[in-house]
Amino acid sequence: MHQLTPLIPGYVNDIYDSIKYFMPEIYLSILFIVVFITDLIFGKNSRLLCKIIACTGIVLVIIQDLYQVSLLFVNGQPQGHFFFNNMLLLTLTVVGFKFVIDVLAFVLLFYFDWDHKLRAHRKGLSDLYSIVIASIFGLHLMTMAVNLLSIYLSIEMVSIASYLLVAYRSENSLSTEAGLKYVLFGAASSAVMLYGISLMYGFSGSLNMFGNTVSGLMQANGTAVSFAILLVLLGIGFKLSLVPMHFWVPDVYEGASTPITAYLSTLPKIAGFALLINFLTPFIFFAKWSGFDFRLFLSVLAIISMIAGNFAAVLQTNVKRMLAYSSIGHTGFALMGIVTFTQQGVSALTYYLLVYGIANIAALALASYFTNLTGAEDVEGYKGLGVKYPVASVLFVIVLISLTGLPVTAGFTGKLFIFSSVYTVYQQNHDIWLLLLMVTGALTTVVSLFYYIKIPLYLFLKRTDILSDPVKSSYSILSLTIILSIVIILLGIFPNSIMQYFSLY
Amino acid sequence: MRASFKYITLLATLVQLCICVWLYLNFKTGAGFSGIDHESQFQFVQKIPWINLNLGTLGTMQADYFVGIDGISIGLLVMTSLVMVIAALSSWEIKSNLKGFFALFLLLDMALMGVFCSLDFFLFYIFYELMLLPLYFLIGMWGGTRREYAAIKFFLYTLFGSVFMLLVMIGLYLSVKDPATGSHTFNMIQMMNPANYTPGSVFSVLSHQTIFGFPARTVGFVVLFIAFAIKVPVVPLHTWLPDAHVEAPTPVSIILAGILLKIGGYGIIRICLGIFPEVASSGAWWLGLLGIISILYGAFNALAQKDFKRIIAYSSVSQMGFVLLGIASQTAEGISGAVMQMVSHGFLATMLFFLVGVVYNRVHNREIYNFRGLGSLMPKYTVFIMIAFFASLGLPGFSAFIAEAFSLAGAFKSSSVNGLLPQWMAVCGAIGILFSACYFLWTLQRMFFGSLSLKGGDIWKTALTDLDTREIIALVPLALVVLVIGIMPSLVFGKINDSVLELVSFTKNIIH
Repeated sequence: MHQLTPLIPGYVNDIYDSIKYFMPEIYLSILFIVVFITDLIFGKNSRLLCKIIACTGIVLVIIQDLYQVSLLFVNGQPQGHFFFNNMLLLTLTVVGFKFVIDVLAFVLLFYFDWDHKLRAHRKGLSDLYSIVIASIFGLHLMTMAVNLLSIYLSIEMVSIASYLLVAYRSENSLSTEAGLKYVLFGAASSAVMLYGISLMYGFSGSLNMFGNTVSGLMQANGTAVSFAILLVLLGIGFKLSLVPMHFWVPDVYEGASTPITAYLSTLPKIAGFALLINFLTPFIFFAKWSGFDFRLFLSVLAIISMIAGNFAAVLQTNVKRMLAYSSIGHTGFALMGIVTFTQQGVSALTYYLLVYGIANIAALALASYFTNLTGAEDVEGYKGLGVKYPVASVLFVIVLISLTGLPVTAGFTGKLFIFSSVYTVYQQNHDIWLLLLMVTGALTTVVSLFYYIKIPLYLFLKRTDILSDPVKSSYSILSLTIILSIVIILLGIFPNSIMQYFSLY
Repeated sequence: MRASFKYITLLATLVQLCICVWLYLNFKTGAGFSGIDHESQFQFVQKIPWINLNLGTLGTMQADYFVGIDGISIGLLVMTSLVMVIAALSSWEIKSNLKGFFALFLLLDMALMGVFCSLDFFLFYIFYELMLLPLYFLIGMWGGTRREYAAIKFFLYTLFGSVFMLLVMIGLYLSVKDPATGSHTFNMIQMMNPANYTPGSVFSVLSHQTIFGFPARTVGFVVLFIAFAIKVPVVPLHTWLPDAHVEAPTPVSIILAGILLKIGGYGIIRICLGIFPEVASSGAWWLGLLGIISILYGAFNALAQKDFKRIIAYSSVSQMGFVLLGIASQTAEGISGAVMQMVSHGFLATMLFFLVGVVYNRVHNREIYNFRGLGSLMPKYTVFIMIAFFASLGLPGFSAFIAEAFSLAGAFKSSSVNGLLPQWMAVCGAIGILFSACYFLWTLQRMFFGSLSLKGGDIWKTALTDLDTREIIALVPLALVVLVIGIMPSLVFGKINDSVLELVSFTKNIIH
């Protein structure tokens, strides 16, 4: 004990200095407490109040995110800054990811209570807001975690919040089953990942990824180290829903309420990508690393995910299930940005994830809209709705075109940036895998059109004789998606308005 | 309010026609205005910086709103704007959801004009893809019984071509640097100059890179060619066309046959030939062969069809084969013939599809064997049918004759000038004209001659009224234009000649 005493002032100073790099997260924790207490005091009827508090809070957090850019520049550390005893790392990339997460979270917080089914929940939605805020805190940690311990803790934090969200509304057996499946698979994958982490720690004697872990791993047996890395990557892959760790995705996405699906298909995935970057960077920058071939492994994973996700989506008729499979395909495509191992690839990835997130949330919001109105969850139920609800249907077309990646939408520019970044690297090293990735990406775009166009097909092309009376439509979802569609088109025409900030780093 | 949509559209297309005619009249000719690979020689240029993205170590990404026209595009622009007016006139037959129809129609119009004007590959690609969605809905919502199948087939075919075009486009953009600004650029004209390619880049002429073991530039050419060949369409990539043309409503068939197919030919000239001239030249034999196959295969298929609209659809495949044959010859005659054929076929296909639409609207049937002796029942209609048929089969005095004659002359000359195409190809092309005479005349005989006999009996007889004023107004300008161009081909050749000569000499210079 006495030996540690001289170290204490150092640690305290470190913690004290770290706080200014931790402002958005501190805001988030305060926000969590405020929402939680509001819920306790005002009870079931505090839904609207909680929503207002949560949304305003997130705006403040976004502002804090943006302050961090100048914080890094002012302190002369645009390359990044380690804090909390090397547990966390703040870089411009991380700030970009946090920004994307918070913006999408802001949209999601608006959307949650507009889904009639979720809103009908008898416990009210106030709890939901506090869970979501807590999960955003976890997501922030995920983007910054660089220590094996903090990586594991942050993933667990997000996972537990996600389990709660999926099982939040469980009035039918399908969603109960989905919730249980998610918990079981999630727990199993966490265990696998923890096993990998402990092996890595055992081999290298260090938890600090940017410290001695990588050099330590070089000393150990190559096969064993590859095995350990594989286990950790499987755990991260579960969060990203990459093939072959994707089997939970369709059931959970279908079983959960639509806004929760929108949450699951965007935020944890984006944070997962940030975490993957954090995990890979030490290996990539460690020049002598000759063990596990990350590029080969991730390329194969990306190609399989793109093919499996997109082809499986073709067979689906349930809209949410189809979007679930398509999100697997999108993850595979986005992985291309990481496989480049360049800063440009990461910027392209951030942009791609942002536009994917916007479009996917908008698509699921529109699915909510149609379910609210007609109860339709299958594309069959969309038959002939295009004439009755022209605005929503046209918006759906715009959103789906963006997800397919056709101009003039944000999805196209996202694809363009990813392809360019891969091409640049290919031009330098002529790695056949990069070429295969691009060809698969192009081919699966055609496949994806085939199933995305199914929704416009049923909305507009199929005619129906059954004419039910139009239900009073909810304008809130409509106005949200109008804004999102405008953003999608604007980003399609002027991609540099956002991309120029992402390509700063 | 409901009725006003079509008048708004008609007015818009008329204004557009006036602008294009004005452009045509003010289009300067001469060696100093030949365009192709000289940015300064383009006319009516507009260049506005659009995307300028600093990508750190990789330099800047540069895409401009860059439009301008030269001899290759001016004829197609005027043709497009006239065809759009006719298509708007024929939209009178559309009865449901007018607002949607005309909104999509005008969106499509914008994309079509954009494709022919853009000189920036990125802009070109955006317009190129922007056509797909309106067409999908136009075919799918207002089409015939198998419309869903036809619409998705068309969409998937074209998208298949264009996603790979996207990859080549990115490859070109990363290979080319604008010498003025030093940043990577999508500027097509810069891409034509071999000196602008960074050494060692994928598509650089000098670096001899390979993709999957094949020379990179050949792969790039083939990918772009396939994308455009799907549009033309070149056999064996044509199978979407009969379905799409037959299922589409008349105005959309007109746009498809009259304009959309030309985008393929235009793309091959401007992009495949302009950016990869040496590959085009070494692969000329194959291009010529594909052209011949399209001519003959299209003609044979047209002979075998029983549906009036399908005959016209296959005749388009056959006639567009001449475009490819002319381009493959890489002679001044051949390329002029190709451009002329595109302009001429634009007018003729419009006329033919419009005429098919007239019968179909009246009785909702177009099976050839269900009609006989229409000549006595609908005399005015028959006059226009005869003009269109004889013009299409290449009767001297009409535009198609000039176009086909020049394409074939180019193909004949090629063996002695640059040795790209053997003479038997030109002979096969000439045989193709013979077959086109067969199917047109045979159709004429079956449907219009002889004594009146209709499957629908008296109901059809009363339904099949002769052309009304609106239809005559739509058809007369087309008939006049093909006749005038046939008599005075200089109206087109005079404007395109400088650009064609420049293109031929430019490709020659690059190769040697």
